[in-house]
Amino acid sequence: MNGLVMQVVTARIMALSLALVVPALAAGQSHAKDTGLIFVSNEKTNNLIVLDPKTYQVVKDIKVSRRPRDMHFSADRSKLYVACGDDDVIDIIDVAKLEVVGKLATGPSPETFALDEKRRRIYVANEEGSSLSIIDIDQNIIVHEVPTGAEPEGVFLGEDGKTLYVTSEVGDLIHLVDAEGGHVTQDVVVGTRPRRFAATPDGKELWVTAELSGEVYIIDRANFAVSGKIEFLPPGMRKTDVTPVGLVMTKDGKTAYVTLGHAAHVAVVDVAARKVQAYILVGKRSWGITLTRDETRLFVANGFGDDITVIDTKSRKPIVSIPVGRIPWGVIIDD
Amino acid sequence: MNSWRNLCAALGAVAVASLAPAAFAQQPPSPAPPQRVTIGYVEVAGDARYEPITGFGRLVLKNRERPFAGAQVGLDEAQALTRVLKTEFALERISVPSPAEVAAAVVQARDARGIQFFIVDAPADAFKPLAAAVRGRDVLIFNATAADDALRREVCAAQFVHTLPSLAMGMDGLVQYLVSRKWSNLLVFEGPLPADAVMAKAFENSAKKFGARIVARQQFKPGTDPREREKNDPALLSAINRDYDVVFVADHAFDFARQVPYHTVRARPVVGSIDLEATAWHWTWEHNGAPQVNSRFQKLTGGRHMEGTDWAAWIAVKMVLQAALRTRSTEFDKQRKFIVDEGTFDGNKGLAVSVRPWDHQLRQAILLAAPYSVVARAPVEGFLHKTNDLDTLGDDEPETPCRLNK
Repeated sequence: MNGLVMQVVTARIMALSLALVVPALAAGQSHAKDTGLIFVSNEKTNNLIVLDPKTYQVVKDIKVSRRPRDMHFSADRSKLYVACGDDDVIDIIDVAKLEVVGKLATGPSPETFALDEKRRRIYVANEEGSSLSIIDIDQNIIVHEVPTGAEPEGVFLGEDGKTLYVTSEVGDLIHLVDAEGGHVTQDVVVGTRPRRFAATPDGKELWVTAELSGEVYIIDRANFAVSGKIEFLPPGMRKTDVTPVGLVMTKDGKTAYVTLGHAAHVAVVDVAARKVQAYILVGKRSWGITLTRDETRLFVANGFGDDITVIDTKSRKPIVSIPVGRIPWGVIIDD
Repeated sequence: MNSWRNLCAALGAVAVASLAPAAFAQQPPSPAPPQRVTIGYVEVAGDARYEPITGFGRLVLKNRERPFAGAQVGLDEAQALTRVLKTEFALERISVPSPAEVAAAVVQARDARGIQFFIVDAPADAFKPLAAAVRGRDVLIFNATAADDALRREVCAAQFVHTLPSLAMGMDGLVQYLVSRKWSNLLVFEGPLPADAVMAKAFENSAKKFGARIVARQQFKPGTDPREREKNDPALLSAINRDYDVVFVADHAFDFARQVPYHTVRARPVVGSIDLEATAWHWTWEHNGAPQVNSRFQKLTGGRHMEGTDWAAWIAVKMVLQAALRTRSTEFDKQRKFIVDEGTFDGNKGLAVSVRPWDHQLRQAILLAAPYSVVARAPVEGFLHKTNDLDTLGDDEPETPCRLNK
């Protein structure tokens, strides 16, 4: 009985993947296959687990350099860049072959980064070095080393490619960096241990999580000042358990999803009203969060659960947990 | 190699570019001199607590260092804040010849140089005269090295903040872990020093608090005299009729403690002064951003491992800096109020740390460390408190004999 179902499912997947592969081949292009593959970086097992979008089965276990964390695709989705903190490199993965094809040297302990393909630059925060490295992708060299507050973490590149925002976890600061000149132009003080960014699609606001003070700070980008903040408290939790880290916004700019770390919930936030609408239960130390392109599913990496939680955004309910490697950090989807 | 050359070239270009306008443009009016906050670091010359621990045959078993480097790391982290707050932060190292003279040095630094924040690195007996000398004065003194419970109880003072965990907190953390493993029958070895007796008593209190049992309390007498083998041989001391799960050793001299593991009659783990120790910090703690703190410390000290007292000095500096940042004020009263009443701080070991209003002890997690790994962090899962789980460690409000403002 089971075997039969499995066979049918497998056949359907094969048909699907054939259907996907054939047009790409016909067009003679090597990019944008929209495989839907889900990539999870695992800090402790030094690998990326690649999951099938339909069955959630492991398609591939890619060995990478030590302590993989933040991941970004190239614009044509042919390459995936992975910052590997313990080897001071960004690994480059060929998305079609699902294997490592190159490396870029960074400063000490790269954590998160931003990619600017037009200018062929990578901006990467070096957690150990209190600096931001600006890397020329083609020449594989560091062109600027920008001093920041201690433990820089989140990096966000403005749409014009000229301004860069970097958090300093220890300094409780957001630095505004001139991306071309490679220096800090302004600082703004936020809550304790600022981590990651998300920008509203209208380009007006930048949201940043403050892990230890359990808040999201909202920065008005026009005058680079704090214009508000949001606090979280899922039912039955204590303020001290609330440690927000990851956040993502819908394309219409109406809804934000924030992972609350040790409080093991994702908060659903009405962006315009700056109000929490709901809390969704996930695993422990939830950090990385990502939306599928159709925004029907949310994927959350649970660092202390060694799994990811898949959430249905319509019903706001977790559907399934999928075991991955140890200490999963982030999730990214090729769609 | 290439990347270095390019980096140097880039830095050179930046340097030239930024120098040029300064050299040729008209000088702008010089800005107001930056404010300066100085933290006094008071230490006792020849403090016996920093002499190396030696064993038989003049072996050096442990070197012990003052935690000044911890304070320095805290200061180095603040470089970006100097720019934001337009305030310079500095440490002033003050050395006195004896614990009794700490009080006079603090008062003198306050009156002559306006220093109001101090980290005191002195043994417990410095604190009673210090409390009397600073009563009602506008100073805040961080105790970073004395774990004695008495300083949080009978000798407590509103001008003190204890950033090092108390002995009671350490023992509570240790017993929480033992109880969580169901290792609740405990054999105690107690050394001849007064501090050993205090430690054994604190352990016994913690055992009572969390429902563990002391099956026997054995006094040992370190030595090699065969006529005293009943007192100096761990095998004979542990050969008792009743079974036990764990051996707890209280031995500040350490030479006996190091010979307990593998010498007990029954195969049992050893905790307390060796093997599994309760500490404020450990160089192998790998969560909460701790690796970055550890590597900054190692870089500064040439590879020394950061310890509990280093952490306590580091967090003290951090609390002062946070007070300046969050109050946006240079007024001592506002900063003091922030530190003792309002502030929560990132101690890089989980739950945010803050000052207990009833005895000015900094509530914080305890790390239970083996030599090369942190075995557990207390509060251990399952030990709950009605307001803050960190208050399952040490003196809680209803128990404290301290009357800070009365």
